[in-house]
Amino acid sequence: MIEEIRNQARQLLENGEVDVVIGYAEGSDPSRTTPIFVRKAEDVEKLIYDSRCINSLPIYLNKRHEYTRKGWKKSAIIGKGCDIRAIVQLIAENQLKRDEVYILGVPCEGVVSHPDKWDGSLHDGNRASKCTGCDVMTPHETDFFPGEKPEVDRSKPYEVTSPKVANLMELELDKRFAFWRTDFDRCFKCYACREVCPHCSCNVCITDETTPSWIDPAAHKKGIFSWHLTRAMHLVGRCTGCGECTRACPMDIQVDLFNQRMKEVVQESYSYKPGYSLEDKHPLITYKVDDREDFIK
Amino acid sequence: MKTATLNKSDLGKCIDLLVQADLRVIAPRLQPRLDEDGPDAIDVLTFTEVDSGEGHQVGEGLLPLNGVKEFLFAKHEPLFAYEKRGKKIEIIPVHHEYPQTVIIGVRPCDAASIASLESVFSDANAGFEDPFFTERRSRTTFITYSCTAPDASCFCTSVNLSPDSAKGSDLHLTEIGDGRLHVEVISKAGEAVAKQLQDLLEGEGDQAAREKAGAEVSEKLTRIRDSAPIMDWLMDTANFDDEMWQRLGEKCIGCGACTFACPTCHCFDIVDENKGSKGYRVKFWDSCQFDHFTLHASGHNPRDWQYKRYRNRFNCKFKIYPEKFETPGCVGCGRCIRACPVNLDITEYMAEVAHKAANPSAMKADQDSE
Repeated sequence: MIEEIRNQARQLLENGEVDVVIGYAEGSDPSRTTPIFVRKAEDVEKLIYDSRCINSLPIYLNKRHEYTRKGWKKSAIIGKGCDIRAIVQLIAENQLKRDEVYILGVPCEGVVSHPDKWDGSLHDGNRASKCTGCDVMTPHETDFFPGEKPEVDRSKPYEVTSPKVANLMELELDKRFAFWRTDFDRCFKCYACREVCPHCSCNVCITDETTPSWIDPAAHKKGIFSWHLTRAMHLVGRCTGCGECTRACPMDIQVDLFNQRMKEVVQESYSYKPGYSLEDKHPLITYKVDDREDFIK
Repeated sequence: MKTATLNKSDLGKCIDLLVQADLRVIAPRLQPRLDEDGPDAIDVLTFTEVDSGEGHQVGEGLLPLNGVKEFLFAKHEPLFAYEKRGKKIEIIPVHHEYPQTVIIGVRPCDAASIASLESVFSDANAGFEDPFFTERRSRTTFITYSCTAPDASCFCTSVNLSPDSAKGSDLHLTEIGDGRLHVEVISKAGEAVAKQLQDLLEGEGDQAAREKAGAEVSEKLTRIRDSAPIMDWLMDTANFDDEMWQRLGEKCIGCGACTFACPTCHCFDIVDENKGSKGYRVKFWDSCQFDHFTLHASGHNPRDWQYKRYRNRFNCKFKIYPEKFETPGCVGCGRCIRACPVNLDITEYMAEVAHKAANPSAMKADQDSE
């Protein structure tokens, strides 16, 4: 599989069709992989793909980051289904044009939930819960795919697959709040959850605004809660569920639990799953006459 | 130096004794976790204030995620309060508590980092002192614990430390087999703590066994780099624009996780948290990896690309710190490697620099041919 991807990447670079191929390479220890920008055809041999390739590479396509300033007019990117959903969502939100990116889709068997859990193979004990019930293991939107793409039914509604979300929802409100109070106590506001998110596209994040200061930048309870709740709300109907925010958190706070719950709410309220359509706008920025109104009291 | 032995199984009792002596005790502990939380759930080990020895993880696990930095250099703290009355602004001092504290189960790298923080926050040469830091520092005792099982990200031996180093320690513990610990009293503060624990301490330690254990653990480290040539190479201003910086650093996404997790990173910001006509001036952690860290009011940013911000971080650790303070900027704990979401690895920079320093002409030719 990876050979076919490498060949295609080589051709794209040799023909000058793309300026760069964004992919994965071996990391600095055996449980990790790392993003790589391949600019020369001879370097395509460095490209790899397996269940350790956790990173959501579309962050490098997000214009908020500086990568487009390197003169990349067109980038090829290796994408597993969930990453391609992020690319599709970026396009739907006008953050990227479809012709600025060449998508090298890979067949995916799921990824490991955390590099520390990698023991040489992928199994039920270390497969990320986001991979359960995934309908884009054969990716939907691609320019190149090694082999035949089977027909996949992607009409099923979004379902939360992390048992922790269900466990939390079962708790009384005050106990749930106590859980977050304890977990957020660890937060030091490094904003890794923001920087790693393919959908955080604001040029100036609301938490960095100083006149006025909407969110206290200090890592006290008020500053932490207002940051995380704002982050979660800004991603409602947009989050494609890569889970990178949780993986990137150096204090191992499962911040994506909010996003998973929000996705469930969006599904229930608007029957909408982000990242499947290049045109559809997400429900919170659109109005339809048959939109639910029963929550307005 | 006074030594003794201690049963490893008595560590919980040690914590109990210290708590009973009205000390604030901070120890590694696992955050509650449910197995039913699924494959995404992971063990979270942090330094936490404890009220008993129950469930402590002293000597277990490797490094708590947070390190000891936040107990000396608070994540946030008010410097003073203010209130505007008419045209006058009144400054109101804020009362801070500095309880007598013992941090137990500190690994050697974290203990060594304290000297680095100290050199910034109480710089006798510059005549500068951060009272918040020094007040806490003077009331904190460190009981350190030699490592037994370094992981793939550890590299303390590459920065002149070792898994059994007692640098920065007050009372140092090393496993010597048979569930016994070799105890070394390093400082006066350590002696005071040893007095609290005297009922549990026995006889004399076993120096030979301690040294043997330390040497065995050192051999387990796999990430070994030569840091000796780094400072000189960085001093050569021509290398400031070396091609390496962009090549290795362009994948950096500027999240700042490395700096916040780092035990020696110390940058902070100060803001006024206003509520109407009054508020607090608050100091809190900042990061040189943020794009607005060096953003000037004019809009100019001298570190305008992310790789330049990482270049600054590397320079801070291996040139600026040792040059200015003669303390190491990096203690090899590996937290930045573990925390990095894109596997940007500081030891890859170290290896690259060592290689370039050893082969200056070859590198030059390489660049010319490109």
